[in-house]
Amino acid sequence: MAKVLEGPGMGLVSKWGMAVPHYVVITEAEQLGSLAQANAWLRESKLVVKAHEAIGSRMKLGLVKVGLNLDEARAAAKEMLGKAVAEVTISQVIISEMVKHEAEFYIAAQSTRDGAELLLTNMGGIEVEENWEKVKKIAITLGDTPSSDQLTQLAKDAGFEGALVPKVVDFASKLFQCLEQEDGTYLEINPLVLRKSTGELTALDAVTMVDADARFRHPDWNFSFASEFGRPYSDNEKAILEIDTQVKGSVKFIEIPGGDTALLPAGGGASVYYSDAVLAMGGTLANYSEYSGDPPDWAVEALTEKVCSLKGIKRIIVGGAIANFTNVKKTFSGIIKGFRKAKADGKMEGVSIWVRRGGPFEKEGLAAMKELENEGFDIHVYDRYTPLTDIVDYAIKGVEA
Amino acid sequence: MSILTTKNTRVVIQGGPAGESAARRMAEFCHLSRIPFNVAAFVFPPGAGKTVEIQCGSELISVPTYKTVAEATDAHPEIDTSLVYIGPSRAYAGTMEALSSPNIKLVSMITEGIPERDAKKLRIESERRGKTFNGPSSIGILSAGEARLGVIGGSYDNLVLCKLHRQGSFGVITKSGGLSNEIMWICSQFADGITTAIGIGGDTYPGSDFSTYLEMFENDPQTKAVVMVGEMGGDLEEGAAAWYAAKKRRIKLIGVVSGYCQEELPKGMKFGHAGAKEGRHGEGSARAKSEALQAAGAIVPATFGGLGPAIKAAYEDILASGEAKAPATSAEPQNLPKTIDEAVKDGDVFAEPLLKSSICDDRGEEPLYSGYAASELIDKGYQIPHVIGLLWDKRLLSPVEAEIVKRIVILSADHGPCVSGALVTIIAACAGINMAQAVAAGMIMIGPRFGGAVTGAGQWFSYAVKNKMDVDEFLAYMKKNVGPVPGIGHRVKSLRNPDKRVKSLVSYVKSTGIPTPHLDFALQVEARTTVKKDTLILNVDGTMAAILVDLGFPVDALNGFFILSRTIGMIGHWIDQKQQGSRLVRLFKYLANYVSPKKREVPPLDS
Repeated sequence: MAKVLEGPGMGLVSKWGMAVPHYVVITEAEQLGSLAQANAWLRESKLVVKAHEAIGSRMKLGLVKVGLNLDEARAAAKEMLGKAVAEVTISQVIISEMVKHEAEFYIAAQSTRDGAELLLTNMGGIEVEENWEKVKKIAITLGDTPSSDQLTQLAKDAGFEGALVPKVVDFASKLFQCLEQEDGTYLEINPLVLRKSTGELTALDAVTMVDADARFRHPDWNFSFASEFGRPYSDNEKAILEIDTQVKGSVKFIEIPGGDTALLPAGGGASVYYSDAVLAMGGTLANYSEYSGDPPDWAVEALTEKVCSLKGIKRIIVGGAIANFTNVKKTFSGIIKGFRKAKADGKMEGVSIWVRRGGPFEKEGLAAMKELENEGFDIHVYDRYTPLTDIVDYAIKGVEA
Repeated sequence: MSILTTKNTRVVIQGGPAGESAARRMAEFCHLSRIPFNVAAFVFPPGAGKTVEIQCGSELISVPTYKTVAEATDAHPEIDTSLVYIGPSRAYAGTMEALSSPNIKLVSMITEGIPERDAKKLRIESERRGKTFNGPSSIGILSAGEARLGVIGGSYDNLVLCKLHRQGSFGVITKSGGLSNEIMWICSQFADGITTAIGIGGDTYPGSDFSTYLEMFENDPQTKAVVMVGEMGGDLEEGAAAWYAAKKRRIKLIGVVSGYCQEELPKGMKFGHAGAKEGRHGEGSARAKSEALQAAGAIVPATFGGLGPAIKAAYEDILASGEAKAPATSAEPQNLPKTIDEAVKDGDVFAEPLLKSSICDDRGEEPLYSGYAASELIDKGYQIPHVIGLLWDKRLLSPVEAEIVKRIVILSADHGPCVSGALVTIIAACAGINMAQAVAAGMIMIGPRFGGAVTGAGQWFSYAVKNKMDVDEFLAYMKKNVGPVPGIGHRVKSLRNPDKRVKSLVSYVKSTGIPTPHLDFALQVEARTTVKKDTLILNVDGTMAAILVDLGFPVDALNGFFILSRTIGMIGHWIDQKQQGSRLVRLFKYLANYVSPKKREVPPLDS
């Protein structure tokens, strides 16, 4: 699953025939001048200005401004662009028209194990979460298309009446097409409104998630994916994401500022058990990381450097299960190079390293790691006979087995 | 017994190099367990019609490659299982092909990163056809002592350590590949090992799920307990709990679920597996799943670390109830045969060498030229003449010697486009011949009349000096026994039109003050022969020969100096023609003197 920002998300919605408000995405406030000459709506409508970044609670942070005229919008954009919020710099804003409307509705489509679900209610905005039990849904088996009768029934069950019903049916069937054809995993329109001027159902805001793995069959996906956890990716995270797309296997890295325990484990499965173990022992995580699928040593080295650069860490957990085909000696040589660089940069002061691993060339890999003792590292190396997460217990208690 | 796969399973592997490397791992397992190799065919269109050689024990087995699954199953009707190693964009079509085959009952997809929609369609199709679809992103399936499908189980040492050559009592189902291996290891340490281990993959929508496999394990009398490793996201663990709770089950279920960390980490964060993600309203949390399993009566250790003791306790229970006996020790795993390299290294065998080499040793990190590491020679400022000295005469040249060798190479590097070697190289280049072949053609010209007289000259000058002959004696001997003296005489150069290269080389060598008995003798010979005829001068071949013999180079090495030097020129001519885009050249007819008979009638064939 991958999140698409509002601008490109609106683009996908409108591609499948659903009405969206006029909008533009800009990187400099001055662009609004020439855009306004070309687009009457910028001059004639009240405007909304929002930071176009994956930041949670934009409203609270003052990154959403509503009811502005063009000059006010330009000023708001100018103020937001370049502003540093939660360690990120805002580089894009989206400006859209305010759509005059009365009632607000909610509609969503999501991928499920057997096909998809459509969710609908005649309440929109924040009321939805409070009245979740009133949301009506139908399941659509993979390969099927919801019939007009099914959708009509859904609309009626969700409380829609009269002339609104066929409009909702039409919108729902388009939303479903969008989910199906765009490899969508979750599309939420909230609020969905009836535009006063035209009587047309319009998607005022959209949450758009698509399947990143399907990118190969969507040549028009010219957007990059946004983070899904309430803040944009940091530069360090972006650097590892970039490496991840280039290499065989994978490397992953998410920073969690303030933690005391850094993770450098192998394996998508084992890494989560290591994260659990750190928290169960009362530690705090400084990051989530993993490498798997026998990535090249230089990629593991780059990941190691990022992990060692985490501020305020006391220990690094180099854990891993018994690998099937990841070469322990080779991947460890990347980690060792990363450690040496970090030490030369003075980053390993007061940081202990805890290693546990098995797999192809485990003896050579573990022996090379143990050699670091002689270079002044505070390193503790265990083999397959020490259970997977026991090193976390030792590391946090500071006692050896 | 085991589930899903046995020693009778026969496999087609769909995909290229990754599939081949899996086949090699699978062959290792067959050797370990003393069972026949289970891969019958590959399907890989670019390799169709060829065979892939797979080492199985001390044999090489040829496995044929086909274009389609149907062709493979037609040729090998015993195939009942497919492993998919095809890239994400083509994996769907390939898997559909396998699912459509009436012979194939199990398809396990190893491919990672296939779109969710494709995975869902494949699962629904497999259910419709009553087949098992395992994966995507599966590490494989392993039935101890019976079959290995994929690289699950890792290296050979690990297979042995985990006692995978024989059946134990524990089934294993995991989403994670690394953890499947870890659990097999734990089961062998804390209990009697595994029956079958299945990696179902960590995608959002895996094919066959936990409860499908639990049902199979329930029906396998050898399996007494199942270890299930889950993680947050989706509802497969809840499904497993519901299955376990539905009625009294024969098997024990031991389960752990990862993802408690999600309670403290930012919502929406991505973990290593695509499916490891709670729902938008917190569905599928690790805590909820663990509680569901516990409520269903499963054994749920608080942490992953608790698994070993839990498995141990379960095994003791099983033994106490008499349901299983401790495994017989008779079936021992078989060691992997050593390669010749390993056996030689371990001192197990002596192999009589086929050849002897005394100049260069490449067995270490870098080649040693007569014992000296190339990089160290470079670091200490040595030059190409020193390398020639080491490889041609096994010694480090002195600075003066190296300078003389360098001058010889410079002086003989090229002699224009008209001489035999260059001309042939150029003609070949113009005919579109590649560098190596064109230069080799020029090289073929080197012989008694072009550049190949160095060794001959060296041989006879040193014969004369060794036998203390005087010039007259030498010339008489040569006339009687050999013919013209190699190294004497030139087509165009003469006393009045001396060869500047010879003059410069001789005067430099004399200036160094090194002893030059052969050069001195050669010059005496020249003084005599030029009296007879003005072109019978000491030519460049003869000069090089005399000097190089004076430097102590073996006579056998001498032609090498001309060949080496002139290669520089020939390569230059080839590049020159190539860059000019020269066209094919042919001789003008007026340059050939046609002396063959005039045209005449062909007589009828005699019967």
